[in-house]
Amino acid sequence: MSELWQALAQGVFIGSTYGLLALGMGLVYGVSGVVNFAHGDFISLAMFMCLALFSAFSLDPYVSVLITIPVMTAIGALVYRFLLRPMVGYKFLMVVQLTLGLSLVLQNGILMIFGGQPARTPSIVESKLIILGDVVLRLAHVIACAVAFAMAIGLYVMLRSTDFGRSIRAVHQNAHAAALMGIDVGRVQVMTFALGIGILAVAAALLLPGTPIQPTQGLQYTVITLLVVVLGGMTNFVGIMLGGLVIGISEAMGTVYVSDTLGRLVPYAIFVLIMLFRPQGLTWRAS
Amino acid sequence: MLEVEGLVAGYAGTPILRDISLRLDRGETVGLLGANNAGKTTLINSLSGIVTPMAGRIIFDGRDVTRATPMQRVEMGIIQVPEGRLVFPEMSVRENLLLGGFCDRARPLRPRQMEKVLALFPRLKERLSQPAGTLSGGEQQMLAIGRGLMAEARVLMLDEPSLGLSPLFVQYIFGIVDQLHKDGLTMLLVEQNLNLTLRHAQRCYVLERGHIAVEGAAEVVKNDPRTRQAYLGL
Repeated sequence: MSELWQALAQGVFIGSTYGLLALGMGLVYGVSGVVNFAHGDFISLAMFMCLALFSAFSLDPYVSVLITIPVMTAIGALVYRFLLRPMVGYKFLMVVQLTLGLSLVLQNGILMIFGGQPARTPSIVESKLIILGDVVLRLAHVIACAVAFAMAIGLYVMLRSTDFGRSIRAVHQNAHAAALMGIDVGRVQVMTFALGIGILAVAAALLLPGTPIQPTQGLQYTVITLLVVVLGGMTNFVGIMLGGLVIGISEAMGTVYVSDTLGRLVPYAIFVLIMLFRPQGLTWRAS
Repeated sequence: MLEVEGLVAGYAGTPILRDISLRLDRGETVGLLGANNAGKTTLINSLSGIVTPMAGRIIFDGRDVTRATPMQRVEMGIIQVPEGRLVFPEMSVRENLLLGGFCDRARPLRPRQMEKVLALFPRLKERLSQPAGTLSGGEQQMLAIGRGLMAEARVLMLDEPSLGLSPLFVQYIFGIVDQLHKDGLTMLLVEQNLNLTLRHAQRCYVLERGHIAVEGAAEVVKNDPRTRQAYLGL
């Protein structure tokens, strides 16, 4: 029984971070129809930035985030403005190609600078544990979960009740009508992409403590993020967080109850099963 | 107030509008008539800056706005209420109205303007927190007009406001048009419905396959045989 609780707790903690990763992708898809296949490589980039900041200044990832957030946000804005925007509105596959290319560039760029050895970024919370009865939790996971949910709620409130948030939703629901309201659609798309990439800087710092990193890991994060976004129904906020939890929990269950290597397949199997029976995603709203 | 001179516009290099000239004076309600495919929506979208003109000039308040972006035009008060309403379906009535007043010029005035709009459309007041997608067609048209007014419109351009509405609602919406006219608003009524528009506008232009076939006071346009021709495509 304690194994079950352990797996559930771990799944919720990891899943909430997956949800956060996916919110960024969902937001971007919602306003510009871009599915970013380099999403995971941007997480890599943020993680290796944290590593570099540790090597150079011994900064803890939780501190580095103050630097990586603005840098990643700026990178996101530039990438959208100069690479993606000229392609948006043409064939969907061209945008996919472009982001796949970007993924290779990022991956090999990181490989060139940091080499192919798995690396670790130490953090003060790395070895801290919280023990609740039979369940042993890593402090880093608890922090990750709390921050992920706080950010998700913050984003939700921002989308609901600020003019910027309403302009994002307006562009999502009808870009032509949004332009007639005096909303600069192109600017909203750039800012949303920048926001989506900026969020990754936070997610990277949350995932880092205790996790080895390597330049080729990006695709794995991209695939996990895609699973979550699709499960959540692409643009549904609550659905995406729920999807993150489903994937996180099935991953944790897989590694606890099935063998370590085979267990990694569990989230994908669960995903296929859910898609077979609920192709519209997890949420119940008919569109 | 708004003047168009020799406008040529269209999509992907193919002109739909040829040599259009028209003007709207302050406080006037002008009708823009024409059958389907005459180019009415292309014209209104050129005025909104959605379609970039290939030639000609658009002058607003003495300023050349031919190259101004849609955003800049909304900022100046050139507001379009689009065909088919295009309300934001998943947002509440209140949020739709707030978005109407999104531009910098209108934003600080939103609370006051919202009161005015809700006084004009009491139906919307009852439905403030309801998603716009759940409103009836007539209510959505009220919302679309209300949203346009929230932008502190100086010229309000209504694209096919009667489209798909029951006769009762058409009466109501055109009653609102009359009321706005009495309040001194400058309006462009883009319509297919000939007789209705002639009753509510002071002057009219009739578009036929991308050029202006007839223009003049409503009475003159009404009695000009070319008006019917333009409609029937003879």
